[in-house]
Amino acid sequence: MLIPRRLKHRKQHHPGRSGASKGGNTVAFGDFGIQALEPAYVTNRQIEAARIAMTRHIKRGGKVWINIYPDRPLTKKPAETRMGSGKGSPEWWVANVKPGRVLFELAGVPEPLAREAMRRAIHKLPMKCRFVVREGGAI
Amino acid sequence: MAEIQLVAETRSEFGKGAARRLRREAKIPAVLYGHGTDPVHVSLPAHDTTLALRHANVLFTLDIEGTQQLAVAKDVQRDPVRQVIEHIDLLLVKKGEKISVEVPVVVVGESAPGTIHLVDMQHLTLAAEATALPQSIDVSIEGLEAGTVITAADVVLPAGVTLVTEEHHSVITIAEPKGEAAAEGEAEAAEAEAPAAE
Repeated sequence: MLIPRRLKHRKQHHPGRSGASKGGNTVAFGDFGIQALEPAYVTNRQIEAARIAMTRHIKRGGKVWINIYPDRPLTKKPAETRMGSGKGSPEWWVANVKPGRVLFELAGVPEPLAREAMRRAIHKLPMKCRFVVREGGAI
Repeated sequence: MAEIQLVAETRSEFGKGAARRLRREAKIPAVLYGHGTDPVHVSLPAHDTTLALRHANVLFTLDIEGTQQLAVAKDVQRDPVRQVIEHIDLLLVKKGEKISVEVPVVVVGESAPGTIHLVDMQHLTLAAEATALPQSIDVSIEGLEAGTVITAADVVLPAGVTLVTEEHHSVITIAEPKGEAAAEGEAEAAEAEAPAAE
């Protein structure tokens, strides 16, 4: 699973969720992609689950790109704890995804296979997404 | 690609309010500049412009209050989710002038069985005459074996077009696909490398 190797601050503020994605909105490396339509915190477990769903469906061939990285820690207080006594301990690693962002890309497989593989991956993600094809059409 | 004729209207109102009013009237705000002239702010018909920009490197003939001007789209701003065009930067060109443009690479044919192709450069930068801009560059990978690398120098260009991208840059690589097990092994190795950042 994706986890940063070093970090400057263990406990950060929650990343802002407003607005649309400023970059990474087009399919840049592969032929097909998954584009977010809603803002969400995508955890490293969800990224891994989506990757596995995709690679297991395409079996052999193809190449997968992961365009997001879970570099923001989120904390959680233990259950049945009184308020106060400081911030909770880091619990998740998340990527702050905004609408328009292309999360995964895929190349080297025919479109129907890519569409089905990405449909399965979308089911592992916490927000609405859509399948997109590179501008200028698939190869 | 033939020239696209568009009727452009000059605009004197600026800012997001004016731009939104224009978009509600099915127009796209645009700016026209080049050749050291002062920028001209115009609005274009949204539907015709959107259809024209589905093709790469379209040459526009703009009718601005009776004067005809040739232009190419230099930058197109789109809404990231709805994909509607929000603004266009147009660059003035002259007939016979050579300009540098980004041309998409289109892969033709199939590589040897059991191999996949990876497009390292989706676009090539080329210098071409403004009135004869190539829409795409076909690169044949028919029967190529794993390990073959097609560089920018290997790409066959149409007559009158020169390469601006550095010749040694890799455009397409033919590789053997990694199996599911290999991909998962790679992911596990990456996980083992990363210490738990607690």
